[in-house]
Parts: sequence; C-alpha cells; structure tokens
Amino acid sequence: MTTTESAQPVAASVRPPAGSRRTPAAHGERPLRLVVVTTVTVAILALVAWPIVAALLGSLHDWNPLNGTYRWVGTANYRRLFADPVFWTSSVNTVVFMAGAIIGRVVLGMALAYAVHSSLTRVRTLHRTLLYLPTVTPLVAVAYVWRLMYNPQFGAVNSILGLDVNWLYDSRFALPAVMVMTIWKDFGFGVILYLAGLYALPADVLEAAQVDGAGAWARFRRVIWPMLRPTTLFVVVTSMIGYLQAFVQVFVLTDGGPGDSTSLLPYLIYQQAFVKYNFGYASAAAFVLFVATAALTVLSFRAQRGPWRGKAQ
Amino acid sequence: MKTTRTLAAVLAAGVLMITACSSKPSGGDGVTDTTAAKGLPVAGATLKYDPNTLVNDGKPIHLDWWAWGNIPQIQAFADAYQKIHPNVDITVVNQPWDDYWTKLPLQLQGPKGPAIFNIHNSQHDNVIKYMAPYDIPVDQLAADYLNAKSHVIDGKIYYLDLGLMSGAIYYNKDMWAAAGLTDADIPATWDQFREVAKKLTVKDGAKLKQAGFNFNSSFSAFQAGMAYQLGQNMFAADGTTPTVDNPANRQVIQRFLQIYADGSGSKDFGTEATTSFGQGQTAMVYAWGWYEGTLRSQFPAIKFGVFRTPVPTAGATPYAYDRYNGESTVGINKNAPADQQAAAQDFLKFYLTDKADMKALDLSLGVFPAYKPLADDPEIKADPALQAYGDISRYIWPGTVPSTFEDNFTKMWQDILYNKVDPAKALTTAQQKIAADLAGKNFTSAEKLYPAYAPSN
Amino acid sequence: MRRRIASICLNTGLLAVSAVTIFPFVWMLMSSFKNADEIASVDQHLLPRVWTLANYRSIQEHFDVVRLFGNSLLLSVAITGIAVYTSLLGGYVFGKYRFRGRGPLFALVLATMMIPWAVVLIPRYTMFTGAGLQDSYASIIIPAAISSFGIFLMRQSMDNVPDEVLEAARIDGASELYIFHRIVAPLSVNAISALAIFQFLWVWEDYLWPYLMLTTPSKQVLAVGLTTFSGQYSTDYGGLFAATTVSIIPVVIVYVIFQKRFVAGAASAAVKG
Repeated sequence: MTTTESAQPVAASVRPPAGSRRTPAAHGERPLRLVVVTTVTVAILALVAWPIVAALLGSLHDWNPLNGTYRWVGTANYRRLFADPVFWTSSVNTVVFMAGAIIGRVVLGMALAYAVHSSLTRVRTLHRTLLYLPTVTPLVAVAYVWRLMYNPQFGAVNSILGLDVNWLYDSRFALPAVMVMTIWKDFGFGVILYLAGLYALPADVLEAAQVDGAGAWARFRRVIWPMLRPTTLFVVVTSMIGYLQAFVQVFVLTDGGPGDSTSLLPYLIYQQAFVKYNFGYASAAAFVLFVATAALTVLSFRAQRGPWRGKAQ
Repeated sequence: MKTTRTLAAVLAAGVLMITACSSKPSGGDGVTDTTAAKGLPVAGATLKYDPNTLVNDGKPIHLDWWAWGNIPQIQAFADAYQKIHPNVDITVVNQPWDDYWTKLPLQLQGPKGPAIFNIHNSQHDNVIKYMAPYDIPVDQLAADYLNAKSHVIDGKIYYLDLGLMSGAIYYNKDMWAAAGLTDADIPATWDQFREVAKKLTVKDGAKLKQAGFNFNSSFSAFQAGMAYQLGQNMFAADGTTPTVDNPANRQVIQRFLQIYADGSGSKDFGTEATTSFGQGQTAMVYAWGWYEGTLRSQFPAIKFGVFRTPVPTAGATPYAYDRYNGESTVGINKNAPADQQAAAQDFLKFYLTDKADMKALDLSLGVFPAYKPLADDPEIKADPALQAYGDISRYIWPGTVPSTFEDNFTKMWQDILYNKVDPAKALTTAQQKIAADLAGKNFTSAEKLYPAYAPSN
Repeated sequence: MRRRIASICLNTGLLAVSAVTIFPFVWMLMSSFKNADEIASVDQHLLPRVWTLANYRSIQEHFDVVRLFGNSLLLSVAITGIAVYTSLLGGYVFGKYRFRGRGPLFALVLATMMIPWAVVLIPRYTMFTGAGLQDSYASIIIPAAISSFGIFLMRQSMDNVPDEVLEAARIDGASELYIFHRIVAPLSVNAISALAIFQFLWVWEDYLWPYLMLTTPSKQVLAVGLTTFSGQYSTDYGGLFAATTVSIIPVVIVYVIFQKRFVAGAASAAVKG
C-alpha cells in the first residue's frame, strides 16, 4: 500500500497518449487486482487460516500452552463438551441473549429512526447525536457503570423505577439485565442505519401511500417495513455475528452467575482458555461456536432470498 | 475532501504528541558503583545480608520487577536497594491483576520476561517451571520464615510465604454500641454469634435496613475454612482426592443459611458483603486480611473492630480455626540472562532481610508476618486484624489449592441462594466439578504438614 | 390541532428517550467527582455533595496517563488510517472488478468475521513472539491493517460509484490508481467516515492483545491502564470513572467530527444490503 501512495501524484499528472487505449480490464487493473488479492490471501492465510488450523488441531489435544502440555486426545474434548451441562446452559443463554438483543436493536432502532425522521420532530441532529453516544463508547467502561447502576441498594435503576430488585443476582432478571444493557449500548447503531434507510426511500413512495389514505400504521407495515428489509438484514446479520461473540458484558456484570445462569458461550470459552488454561477444550467450544455462526449467517441470507422476499419489491 | 484533511490533521497532531512525549532517554541510569565497602551494617537474623559488596562488579544493570498491587510498598524495597547499589536499576512494573496470569507465563517462555516477579500460590502450576531456586540454604530460610519447609521442592525453595492471611469477623463499632453491645458480647461460638447478629439487625417493617451479618459474595472465602473447624479436611487421607460432599460442609451451609432465615441478613441485601459493610449497611462480615487495607483506603468513615471467627463449641479449640493462605515472596526468572539472575539473587537476600519494608508490606497486605523477627513487633501486635487471629499455629494451610475450589464454592452458593438448588445437590455438583478439574493435575495437599493433622474422608 | 398534539407527544417522547440514553454518562461523569464514600453510599444524589478532583489525581498514581493516552491516540489514528485505506482498496477491487475467484475469496473474507477471537489468540501470540515482534507497535498494527468488516462495508458502498463514471475515466486514459484516488475515494467519503469511527473505537477499546504484546510500560495503551483500577479484591470505582471519562472524550470528539458523514456512510452499507 505504500507504493500506491507514492504513485498517486505521478498517476495524476502523467496520462497515456490517447491512441494507446486498450480494453479497460487490461488497463492497469491487473497490478492493482494482484496486489489486493495477494495481500488479502496472505493476510487470511497467516492471520486467520494458520491460527485456525492450529486451534483445530489443538481442540484434539489436551493443551495447556502455559506449562507446555500438548497431548493427543482425539475427540475427547468434544465429547466432554457435549456432556457438559454448562455448555448447554450457555448455548441456550447465547441464543436467548442474541435473539433478545437483536429484536431490541431492530425494534428500538426502527421506532426511534421513524420518530426522528418524522416531519414533526425538532432538533434532529441533537437526537441523532445523543442516541448514538452509547454505541461509540468503550464497552468495558460503560459495563462498569451499569454494574453500579444495577446495584439493588444504591443503584440508579431501582431508585428511578422505585423497585427493589436484585437485578444481577436474581436468575429471573440477570440475563434480561445483561440484555437491556447491551440493547442500550447498541440500539443507536440500528437508529442510524434505519434513519439512513428512511432517507434513501424515494419520496414519491411515501407520498403515494399518504394519498391513498393509508393509516400511519398500515403505511408503515405495507410500504416502509418491506422497503427497509435490506437494512434489517444487514442489522440482523452484523448483530448476530457480534452477539455470538459477546463476552465483556457478562464478564463485567455477572461473571456468568448466579450459578451458570448468565454464562454465554464466548464467556465459557474465555473461562476455559484464560482462567483454567484448558486450551484444547476451549478450542473445541470455539469451533462449535464458529460452525453455529456460519450456519446462522447462511440461514439469514437464505431467509432473505426465501419465498417472502417477493413482498419486498 | 474536508474529511480527509481533518483526518490528516488529527494524525499529524497525534504523531507530534508522541514524538514530544518519547524524547525521554530510555536506557538505564548507567551509574557505575566502585565502592564495595560502604560501611553499612549487616542485616538479618539467621539469613544475613551484607550490603558491603559490589553487585555485577559495580557495572550498570537493569532489572524488571512485575507486581499487580501494593506498588508503593514494593517500590520501597527497590528504592532502598538502589540506594545501596546505585548501579542496579530496578523498575517496578504495575500489571493489572485480571490478566497478569495470562501474560506472565507466556512472557516467561521467552527471553524477555521480567527478572523478578510477584507470584500468587494459586498459580503455582503455571509459573513454577520458569522459576530459578533461591540461592539460599533451606535451613536458613526455615529458621527465619514460618512455614518455609512446606515450600521445599526437591530440596530447594523457589518462593515462600512472606505473610499468612486468614479470615476474621469485622464489625461496625458504632452499630455495636447502638445495639447496646459491649466488648463482653463478642461471641465465641456460632450460637452466640447468631444471637448477636439478630441484635444488630435493623428493620423497617419487613424491610431490612441494616443487616446483622452479611456473607453475600464472600462464600469462597469461608466455606473450606469453616469445615476445618469441624475437623473436615479439603482432601481425603491420600492427599489427592478432594472431599467436598460431606456432612461438615453441609453443616456449614445450614449454619449460614440459618442466619439469613433468622432475618439477620438477606441474599438480596448488599450483594457484596464487604462493600455493604463499607457503606454502613451491614454490621458484621467475614473477610480475609486484605479487607483491613480496603476499609482504610476506600471507606475511611467506618469505625471497625475485628474479632476471631466463632467456633462450634465454647471453650474447645477446634481442629483448626480456619484455613490460611500465604502471600508469596518474589520469584526469579530462570530464563533471564545470567548477570540479571545473579543480581536478582543478591536483591532477594536484601528483600528477605529488610525488616522495615517487609513490615510495611505485611501491614498493607493485612497478613501476619512470616518473617519471625517481626512476630513480636509492636505495630504488628497493635493491628486489629492481625491480633484477632490469636494462635496462628492453629490455622491450617491446604497447600497451593487450585482455584477450582473457590470458583465452585462460589457457584454452589449462588445456586443455593439465587437458583433455589437444594444444598445437598449443590454440594454433590461442586464435588463432581472439582474432581473433574483436578483430574490429571497431580495436585497433592499440604494438609499433612499441619502439626495437628488428623485424616478425614 | 391533532397534528400539534402528535408533535408535542413525539418530541417529549424523543427527549425522554435521549435523556435516558445519556443518563449513564452523566451519572459516570458526576461520580468521577465524588469521593469513594459517596460513590458507594446508599443515599444517592446525582450531583456530588463534596466535589473532589482526587479521582483524577489518582489516575497518575496508576499509570502515566498522558503518555498512555498519546500511545493509544497514535495507534488508533495509524491503524484507522491504514485499515480504511486497505479496506477501500479491497472494496473497490471486490466491488468493481470482475475476475475469477472473486466470489469465493470475498466469501472467505466474510467468513473471517465469524472466527471467535479466543481461538486465534494463542496461535497468533506464538506467531508474533516467534517473529520477534513482541513489544513493537508492528504487532498491534499488522493484525488490524486489513479489516474484513472494512472490506465488506466498502464493497457495499461501491454502489455509490457509478460504473459509467469509471468507464468514462478509463476512456479518458486515467490510470487505475488515479481513478481510485480521485474518483472512488471522494465518492466513498461517507463510508470512509463510518468505518473510521468504528475502527477508531475498536482500536481504542481493545486491551487484551496490546496487553499481551507490549511489555515496556511506557509503550502501553490507555485501555490496559483502565484495567489496573480493578484490583485483586476490589475495584476503585472513583478512579475507574475518572479514567473512563478521560478515555471516552477522544472517541466522542472523533464521532462528533465525523457524525454527519457517518450516518450517510453507515447507510450506504445497509440500504443496498
């Protein structure tokens, strides 16, 4: 990339004579393409593929990189994993957490974007800036703030809502509490994306719907929601990948407790890898997570292309 | 293109800032020491340290010392040593506790690890193979340091305890007085304790305003220790089989649950006992020695006293009052360059005989000094947390117990209190998980080294 | 009239939501001026009863805040610059060129986004220390220099670059690099802004990797410094809040600078799906 940087002024001033025109594909495209394809391939091989292979092999070993243990155990790690109730609790939690956080992000994001977009709304820039603030602040930092806010005796949540709930220790509320914090942190992302989606809608579509006398809700459901479907897909897929790796929230807020009731798969992986140093076991869990992520992503794209897509266009 | 320009401006500002900041010299002080005879007294009791020598032939040398807390007290050792040997430049590096044990062992595998590092004995397995043995005869260490013999591995010592930490009951003196209690009411047995807790509880109707006793989030601190009071070891007679699912642990759980059942505290009131006590909401908590320092620095307004944890039977000395754990001395990196290791070994002798700084470190950690010359020190004797222990020889050390015990005790208690799991079932689960985690770890308990050891199953 | 009522409801509602959204920040900011007693006191007030700067002063006891701040800023700006450039280049090639293997390679790029970070951490650590890169900023910059999310985002935004414009430029004899820098880049300013903010934030808040790779204390990053407030037994909330406040400021500034374009940039990625 440094070579292209220095080549810029030259490229800007020297133009080939008009007669020597060739097909666009041959015209300087190949070197650039080669550079990019090579760099990307090398980066993937070195930084992702190799570590993945190492980890895959590791998942078949009793592996502790700290004291140097590396012993072949076959599929023992996987068998132990599938027999571990904590793994199943964590898997269910991960799915619940992911679904809840995605729904929160989509619903809040869409509703607030719709509200900000409305012609009745004043000071739009202010709202946009404020609503997006949590999304651009470091997660670890705000998680600590929320931990104090959830405290049953002196936390802001109980004192504002007038409740007496032990948010992070009551197993009925702990996971929802983690989800609420996550939605608060991330809904701004949805707002901005949906807002952009709304701005991009052709004005005549909105007008036509209004002229037809469609009610606000009907207009939203029949016209706007389908037209925003690509935005929704983008939000859902990126959220899914992100939430399937969510870890910091649980690490700071609950440590997976009470018991294992808020343990998520990435948290389980972290615990096994960096607290217990069972790297083989952690790698096995990570692989399962990887496969699940890939499957869910493919499914989402399938759903988009599926039968109900017709309504969108 | 305005964005690009803004970006460029920010970049330029950043680069300028860094260059401005990094103009400091990076090498050591480069001082050479030429005077071996410094006219300083020789320090130490059995183990001696003679400062009147040249370290590294007086040539400049740099040592890194990693630690995760109590930095001022650790820095004091480094400063005192550098005063004697100006050619040795010791840099104390403060590392965050949360990731210390991920980074240190990885770092020690290579040549760039710190020459000196603080260790915690719960991480023994992960660091021991990177440590060089102390270049000091075991007899000398055993003569000056409590419990040194239990740290001997194949005739050598790699680290030992600098102080012993255990649990005690901290109470709020103002609440104590407000409840009409005096020093004579300090409970000796758990039954008396339960009654005192009731008196210290304040309610507004059904709503708890002040907990008499709070043990939330401190489960792992007391569970094993209180079972020792009932004569129950953490390991079976073979020293390798963990025993958790037993009547003693069940009894301990029932005893603590009973106090909450009395209404003297609640699982939902003050989710961290030690914080709740600091906030003036809780009258009594069980905590380990570190808590004294935390109370002083974070909750200076609380007037507290400390008494020994109650026992099951009045007047009878239990099998052990509690378990204790050692705060460890430093480790020396065996992969460090030879000159650094030699300097580190010299520093080590200084460190182990530096009475004043050792005392300050013991007090800041809230540990009973393992360095015998400090045992009768007036400041140590005046410390409320340390005097509460009483006869330190009736506390038992289970060894460098892997953290699976504490982790699973915490989960077990959370399951019992918050997830409504039956205590017997929770104990069984904890037993299984601990046994699974210990499998293949080759851990042997040090319980047999306890003078009053009696096997249990 | 109905419109009027609707307007009042909507605006009040939005203001309420915005207020709730920023409440935790206000609370954190105010708490950073409280002493330890008051932060954990049962009797909570938003405004400190006794204002103190002790928390801000205590930051310096934990680490050299100015220095670490500078390190973080340098790394964040450098990585953001590099990653945005490589992503744009990648997005351009994947979005506008037709070549064999494009689909599978792009799918591979997308797939790397799904790799759990915990799996690759240790192999990467071994690799980087083996290459002698420990304690160098190269070890932080290299893994972040090429961003699969960035390439993805940029490729989506290539729809804003009409093929006709590119064709016209080619017919005029412009070189590919000229086209890339003078036509594609300016047309992608919004996407660049969006990626810049994300990338900056990620580098700014990442701490485990820098912590593992950097050993010289003066080279360390701010996020690692923040973790020193969480001790073995207890957390110093006052110090943590003060340090967090300090660490949030640059991110907010970057966001405010880029926010207008950011909205449009994030849009271009999502709208076209």
